[in-house]
Amino acid sequence: MSVISATDAVKIYESGDKTLRALDGVSVSVEPGEFASVVGPSGSGKSTLLNLLGLLDEPSEGAVTVDGTDLSTLSKRQRTDLRRETVGFIFQSFYLVPTLTARENVAVPGLVSDDRSDLIERADELLTRVGLGDRLDHYPNELSGGQKQRVAIARSLINDPDILLADEPTGNLDQGTGAQVLDVFDEITKEDVAILTVTHDEQVTDFADRTIRLVDGVISDDR
Amino acid sequence: MIDSPLARFSPFLAFARNNLSRARARTILAMAGITIGVVAIASLGMFGATLEQSFLDTTDSAIRTVGVGPGEDAEFQTLGREQVAEVERYAGDGDVYTLSRGRASVTGLQQTTTASLVSVSDPGVFVTAESGQLPPNWRSGVAIGAELADTLGVEPGDSVQVGDENRRVVAVLAESSRASFVQTGDAVVLPPGELGDGASQVLVRADTPQEAFAISDELDSNLNSDRRTRYSVFDAESALQRFNEQISLIRTFLLAVGGVSLLVASVSILNVMLMSTIERKEEIGVLRAVGYHRLDILRLMLYEAALLGVVGSIFGVVISIGLGMLMNAELLSDPFAFSAQALQFTVLGFLFGTGASFVSGLYPAWKAANARPVEALRD
Repeated sequence: MSVISATDAVKIYESGDKTLRALDGVSVSVEPGEFASVVGPSGSGKSTLLNLLGLLDEPSEGAVTVDGTDLSTLSKRQRTDLRRETVGFIFQSFYLVPTLTARENVAVPGLVSDDRSDLIERADELLTRVGLGDRLDHYPNELSGGQKQRVAIARSLINDPDILLADEPTGNLDQGTGAQVLDVFDEITKEDVAILTVTHDEQVTDFADRTIRLVDGVISDDR
Repeated sequence: MIDSPLARFSPFLAFARNNLSRARARTILAMAGITIGVVAIASLGMFGATLEQSFLDTTDSAIRTVGVGPGEDAEFQTLGREQVAEVERYAGDGDVYTLSRGRASVTGLQQTTTASLVSVSDPGVFVTAESGQLPPNWRSGVAIGAELADTLGVEPGDSVQVGDENRRVVAVLAESSRASFVQTGDAVVLPPGELGDGASQVLVRADTPQEAFAISDELDSNLNSDRRTRYSVFDAESALQRFNEQISLIRTFLLAVGGVSLLVASVSILNVMLMSTIERKEEIGVLRAVGYHRLDILRLMLYEAALLGVVGSIFGVVISIGLGMLMNAELLSDPFAFSAQALQFTVLGFLFGTGASFVSGLYPAWKAANARPVEALRD
């Protein structure tokens, strides 16, 4: 059964008298442990698709389904809770809090959960898993780009998500550190966590199990 | 941050504190704004209260005193035994004293001048010696007001010529309150009874101002009829009323000044919080993406605003109490003579300070909480 899926998703943005069909009937489903990449020219709807699958936005038409639950049946609050339990996010510019250590940055999403007893241990464990066991108390400005992205990956895993959504995760990294991040992704997918990434980086598409090509809001190729 | 005792108590409070430490200078300036506002409210309020206290302290004896003198329809020039007895009859529990005045030329070591002469039935009640002392059973010698002593260049032990008599100076008197019925600054105080039997004034002193005002009414209604004012009776009631009106006006004005400065401070908090939400737009988007509810964001931002307010106000209260001690030392000659009212103003300042910054945090917090996570993350 798929982790998350979109069926005939349409997303229309309206600004003034212009309407933009960012997505025009897209059906995608992501399986556990799958590493899928989404490619396409800019303006083709990649980020919009990511926002829909990340439960950050709702489709104008069509449905997004998580574990058999149709998103449109949930309240905003329930959607936020579902997002916390299901989805982890990784961004091109990392978005770490500069005044928090690596460990604290990883633990931030857990601050809102009621059970915080093993939060620190979990953060340390995740940082060790992404190869930063010796950088727990370093601040972001003491870390390289690749290390920052790995902290961000550890952060995305703190709530035990089923899927990681990554927006250009290697966009700010060089070839070598990009490869390190991909290795971490590989480790993660082995534990049945799916990864869906939007990318322009061929290194990533070569690495992916599946590449979805979007052109003008429709899927032109999916294999 | 996450492992600190504060974080165990409230991780959000620790997170808020951490966020404030990011733009340290800005945080300190915003707090300084609140501090200044609180100091303005608290210390200006305290200033009013201390001023009032100081006035009441120095005029206390005058306010409790009722003066009685010959009225415009009086058939007597001075108050003789008979009149004093009449006053005594209606004076209730008040203590009755007689005061006689005169004028004479006085010659000291340096020069001759004309001075007023004063004699009270119980000098110890109305005057205090600054140097030398008033003998318990005062029969001879004179006491001299501070200013006059200065002019004449005399000290206790010297002799002065009053009228055509040579008198020894037994004491130089301390300055009397300007509100006092017995002004001695440039007067020669003679022993009781030295200015003849007739008193120019009878003074009735009560225990409280209210009692004095009641005695005053009693005297006026019993000694005078509708048509004839035989005695003029005067008390400090209307003066006190005027003073109270003035002080409340001053206090309102001072509070308004304090309020305005606090308003300015809360605008600066509003500005700081808005800047910080705009700056941290992406970060707030990430928090929303990783499962923070809108309420969580709201709470985080409000904690930040409240922290600014609480810390700023605490500093404000500390500074105000320091200023209050200076005022007390100056006006009441005891740094710790805080009246309950003065302390109320520090509480008021604190509440206003924290309240104002909490209120100015509301809009930015609401704005941050309602930014859609997608828009927050869009580059």
